[in-house]
Amino acid sequence: MTRGTFSFDVFSGGSVSFDLDTCSTCETKACVKACNAPNLACVLELKDNVPALRVTKEQAARGGCIECLACELACDTDGIGGITFSLPMIELDAHLRDMEAAGQVPGFKRR
Amino acid sequence: MAKLLEHQAKRLLRDLGIATPKGKVAASAAEAVTIANDIGYPVALKAQIAMGKRGKAGAIQFAASADEARTQAGALLGRNVHGRTVNELLVEQRLTIEREHYLAVLSNPVSKTPTVIFARHGGVEVEDVKHGDGIATYDVDLTIGFKLHHALELVGKAGITGASVPALARLACQLFEAYRRYDCMLAEINPVAITARGPVAADARLEIDDDALSRHPELGLEEGHEVGDRARTPLEKIAALIDAHDHRGSAHFVQIDPDGALAKAQGKISIGFDGVGTGVSLAALDELVAVGFQPKNFCDSSGNPTASKMYRITRVILAQPDIEGYVFVTPLSSQQLDNTARGIVKAFKEIYPDGQPNIPCVLCFRGAWDETALAMFEEHGIAKSPLVRLLGRDTTERDVAVAFRDLYQQWRKQPRAIAS
Repeated sequence: MTRGTFSFDVFSGGSVSFDLDTCSTCETKACVKACNAPNLACVLELKDNVPALRVTKEQAARGGCIECLACELACDTDGIGGITFSLPMIELDAHLRDMEAAGQVPGFKRR
Repeated sequence: MAKLLEHQAKRLLRDLGIATPKGKVAASAAEAVTIANDIGYPVALKAQIAMGKRGKAGAIQFAASADEARTQAGALLGRNVHGRTVNELLVEQRLTIEREHYLAVLSNPVSKTPTVIFARHGGVEVEDVKHGDGIATYDVDLTIGFKLHHALELVGKAGITGASVPALARLACQLFEAYRRYDCMLAEINPVAITARGPVAADARLEIDDDALSRHPELGLEEGHEVGDRARTPLEKIAALIDAHDHRGSAHFVQIDPDGALAKAQGKISIGFDGVGTGVSLAALDELVAVGFQPKNFCDSSGNPTASKMYRITRVILAQPDIEGYVFVTPLSSQQLDNTARGIVKAFKEIYPDGQPNIPCVLCFRGAWDETALAMFEEHGIAKSPLVRLLGRDTTERDVAVAFRDLYQQWRKQPRAIAS
């Protein structure tokens, strides 16, 4: 049985999503440890062996999640890649497409 | 600050009950004549540009007939005034003025309060009025507000007596309400024209706090004026959205050399820049310029911004074309620098393969959680890049600039004639 995805929105526009099938096999649960560092928001906890919110989704979206990105970065280094912290920049993406269509190379793509 | 045009400011003041001359905006000489005929002569024709001293520049003319209105409007439209092209005129009834006063509410950086100023003598030469010569000021305690009795006292202190005092005091309260309602840095009526029907705002100026623009979609101002008199660049508009969507910390991004012309003219290298706080940013910019680099942008990402905000502004900075480096520097900051670093790390990992940048990058973290911040670049493999140099608490802005110069020269493998 698959456990699906758990996600919540964040204040600045964006979302955090957890692939619970992946997360359930993660041995470190590094995201939860990172979130519960003394200087961070402490909104994640373990429930049924996967990450879950200890606040409501509404509270998280109002700023309970401080968007420190610690969960995602800890997952990158010590976990198994179950988290996606999505922070869309629609206007920038459109501008980059326009730049490239006009033959301009964004700084991060220069050779 | 976002400066409203005179006709826009007057519309807002009218909504608050402040009397203004009858008038409309014209975009052509024919339209100006139609409006003038409707209002009745004589009329004033006023260039709508967001600049002061229009009268002295000849950007305000008067007409006593349709022929004069057509001639004056034709001469004003399309004219360049203070580097700006006149595209619109405010055609207004010319007032019969008994006397002129000055009234303003400004954000006073010295008293750290709104300050209401009333001067007995207003008009075009108001700057020349000596301090104390009929000028009264009142620093407003925002927990109390600016009440009618404060305004009466203010007007009295400026030496005004007689029947106009109550009306002028009410006007001061109304202008203070405009200042508050629209998050102004400056709300000014100059002159306050005393006419037979009472005080009238003959000219008006409202300047809105850039950081408050997102609170006022009704004004239709998508742009602030931290960029000066030019229009915002596409990247500046994109960066402004970051703060508009999230009040936590700031990411003030201004392109000081958007097309690279300054760097080219001075034989310097364009780079992207981010600093925590304006002071350290300016000090670092000075040092970078001195060793041969021209930051393409200024950015102040301070006030403890979220990591997500840092991620977004870093993506904007690194999107600038033609940059040949990136410098990030903090002062000895109380900001939680591990959060700051996470945003930069995420941006690097997303836009660069394996987080390894394509241009020299110097990142200097000094302050709260700086060691944690620096360690993240190690943990995520970014620091192993030969194009990345990390600096900590034991460095100065000069060290940052020199480290960047050395890294740049290694990258180019061709030492340039750069000042030591």
